Amino acid sequence: MEIKGSVALVTGGGNGIGEAVVKHLARQGARVAVVDMVQKNIDRVVKDIQDLGGEAIGIQANVTSEADTARYIKGTLEAFGQLNIAVSCAGIIRDGTMLSLDKETGQVSKKLDLAKWQAVIDTNLTGTFLCMRDAAEAMVNGGWEGLLVPISSVNKAGQVGQLNYSSAKVADALMPKIIVGEFLMRGIRKIRCVAIAPGYTATPMLTGMNQEALKAILEDVHLGRLVAPEEIASLIGYCVENEAINATTIEITGGLCYPKGIAK
Amino acid sequence: MPSFSYNDMTFTVAPRGDRWDISYALPNGASALVGAGLFKGLAEAEAAARARALIKTIFPVGIKSVGPDVAHPNTIGDLKIVGPDVTHPNFIYWTKDSVSCPKQL
Ligand SMILES: NC(=O)c1ccc[n+]([C@@H]2O[C@H](COP(=O)([O-])OP(=O)(O)OC[C@H]3O[C@@H](n4cnc5c(N)ncnc54)[C@H](O)[C@@H]3O)[C@@H](O)[C@H]2O)c1
Repeated sequence: MEIKGSVALVTGGGNGIGEAVVKHLARQGARVAVVDMVQKNIDRVVKDIQDLGGEAIGIQANVTSEADTARYIKGTLEAFGQLNIAVSCAGIIRDGTMLSLDKETGQVSKKLDLAKWQAVIDTNLTGTFLCMRDAAEAMVNGGWEGLLVPISSVNKAGQVGQLNYSSAKVADALMPKIIVGEFLMRGIRKIRCVAIAPGYTATPMLTGMNQEALKAILEDVHLGRLVAPEEIASLIGYCVENEAINATTIEITGGLCYPKGIAK
Repeated sequence: MPSFSYNDMTFTVAPRGDRWDISYALPNGASALVGAGLFKGLAEAEAAARARALIKTIFPVGIKSVGPDVAHPNTIGDLKIVGPDVTHPNFIYWTKDSVSCPKQL
């Protein structure tokens, strides 16, 4: 599928990886819908795309809401008349171990809040499901070629302190196989699904992480630095153009290894 | 350059080459873009109609909570009770009971 002339929507498009994806696709000639919860970030990104001479709309929405999902899809179709690429970048972290112990008594002093669990599952898993489902519905009913892109994470492998996040991201990573399998069953041939699993990437999300832990993690990255959001955006652009990439999850980590150099 | 008011906001549709930008006024007097480079080749009236339809989808009308009116608290002893800002133009008065909310005895 050619990027030029296509229509893309990116949730979480107001910041970080989503912003880089929106700008990369707009530079290549796609018309883009920037969907995010933070209006001032949407405004900034739409302005940047105007300055690039591109075409964009901004839609404030909460991806965990079914009504908001229907609204941002409808808004995209009303502005551009079609939809070809849906990237689900909206995501959050709410880290914490499932149990914390009192050092003196050895008894449980704290449990992972249900609110922390639910917020991450709602945004990172349900939000992605709603986006993929409703974008696919629009593509099928419109008869358009399409690519669905859930954003997983290398921490789908399981990260301590991230029971909520890893659980959501492993489920996101499974989506391409299941969705494309179902498309095959139903005779839907024009829509592909490819998930992207970034490693540690230089975005504001990482500012919420323990910075000492982040420094230690970088020692296990072969590349020796964080992945740039633009590098992830260009991979997504490549996936749009190469139709043989399908029903899979691609890791982009800079060579993240476990200690002692065993690739993750 | 058509301008219109909707949902308490003022929107403007302005040409840029053969395309249209839609912006809205922010409370601080600045403006932000809803969309850039839209509706290629459309005439002004048609672009304005498309912009209106798009805005109605993007900014749905809902109930806005108004207040609190922190400048006028009711006090009981040293307890301050802060109500909604009844002077705000969006504050809605009901003059009769809503049928969807019958009086409970
Ligand atoms: N940064 C990393 O190292 C990294 C690594 C692996 C995976 N990821 C994943 O990549 C995606 C993007 O991450 P990022 O680092 O760019 O994060 P970010 O915090 O920079 O941006 C996330 C964006 O999502 C928006 N958002 C959050 N909740 C939302 C909601 N309910 N509705 C609408 N928008 C919402 C935020 O407003 C923000 O603009 C996430 O899914 C994240 O899990 C990030």
